Amino acid sequence: MTGSLADRSILVTGAGRGLGRGVALACAAAGADIVVASPGENGAETVAEIEAHGGSGGWARCDATVAADVEGAVAAAIRRSGHLDAVIHNATSRRSSEPVRLDDVDEALWDEHASVSLRGAYHCAQAALAQLRARRGRFILMTSPAGIEGSAMLPVYATVKGALRGFAKSLAREWAPFGVTVNAVSPLAETPAMTSAYEKDPTLEARLARVVPMGHLGDPETEIGPAIVFLAGDGAGFITGQTLAVDGGRFMTL
Amino acid sequence: MLAGRVIVVTGGGTGIGRAIALGLEDAHATVTSVDGDFASRADAEAALAGAREATGPLDAVVHAVVDPAALTTEALVETAAADWDRRCEAILRAALHCCQAARRELSGRGGRLVLVTPTIALTGAAGLVPYATAVEGMRAMAKSAARQWGDQGITVNCVAPPVELMAPEHAAAPPGLALTERPLGRDPDARADVAPVVALLIADPGHFVTGATIPVDGGIVMAP
Repeated sequence: MTGSLADRSILVTGAGRGLGRGVALACAAAGADIVVASPGENGAETVAEIEAHGGSGGWARCDATVAADVEGAVAAAIRRSGHLDAVIHNATSRRSSEPVRLDDVDEALWDEHASVSLRGAYHCAQAALAQLRARRGRFILMTSPAGIEGSAMLPVYATVKGALRGFAKSLAREWAPFGVTVNAVSPLAETPAMTSAYEKDPTLEARLARVVPMGHLGDPETEIGPAIVFLAGDGAGFITGQTLAVDGGRFMTL
Repeated sequence: MLAGRVIVVTGGGTGIGRAIALGLEDAHATVTSVDGDFASRADAEAALAGAREATGPLDAVVHAVVDPAALTTEALVETAAADWDRRCEAILRAALHCCQAARRELSGRGGRLVLVTPTIALTGAAGLVPYATAVEGMRAMAKSAARQWGDQGITVNCVAPPVELMAPEHAAAPPGLALTERPLGRDPDARADVAPVVALLIADPGHFVTGATIPVDGGIVMAP
């Protein structure tokens, strides 16, 4: 397939739905072969959608909290393409959009968030470095405006998303000598998680629209995905350790 | 500046915590140091409750606990899972437990919570990925707590010293952490340079500052 990511192999965690699916579709449309890493059958649905648009990809059953699963997803990329050019760690806890008071955060909720976002990032880095190094590849982590400015409603989500920025900056320094870039993307996306947050808080959508200069949340495939395509492509090889906000102007103080 | 203020410093028995505790006493606060790893919420609540029983209701909590293991310099891909947990996730859990226990103590009377988050949160640091991840997460936790607890009159801020100061013995800072540029021309001193900024955030004039991070590193990091 032609396109700016032709002959690239890209692994996307949490690509079974929502933002991850949109990013996978955008990268596939740009010519990349996608490993759709997802713990559930919806990974196959994403692959079907990629193929329906003329792209290529395969589903790897992958729970990012399990090191062997992530190693398996990397191995799937090598089986499919012979190489791996980029990892996009997008997976996040299913409880991400559940509002919570810090007082009520228990060990189980904490571990939900930390295991997928943080341990998942650690597993991705460990599993992928050798392959990324061979291709001077890209490692991209999904953070959030909440991770930059905190969130009263979603304090644990904000904490792990903020932590991923520390991870990105530090790993960018560590992997720069290998020619591998590490960046964070801070999207404000229209996703099933947001839709479910709207259901819990009916005023949220209107309030969000007021504080987003562009007046709406981004479409995963057409408004968020292209920024990932850029970071994964040839033109972004000298960008590392950055947080790219793709949030309709929500956050301008970086 | 802090006469009559009752403050708990976690990790106040050693290293930067001790230096901050001494510096707050220099400012005439009543300071209790508590140690421990804050591995459970119950640990943190017991530690703060014990301090309250000794010195009276708390006005402020300073979270300066750091496991020295977090300062181990090692490539992330060489880092074992147990070490990742100890240097990253355990640091975050301890901070969460401290925040939860602090709010319980400060509830109904307002107060100040200050987290010590070295500047590697802002800059990143090769070889220290787990700890830098944890401290950047602590900053987002502090901002979230600041937003959630503002209506209770509780402020939550971060003070960011150079990471060298987080080592139990500053002189024994691990190799690779050395300062590179020092606009103010000298190494910072935790008691003389960092503690007064913590004091400022706890004292009356600091009452309208919340969710902020103040680097106290002599101008090395000038991030937005």
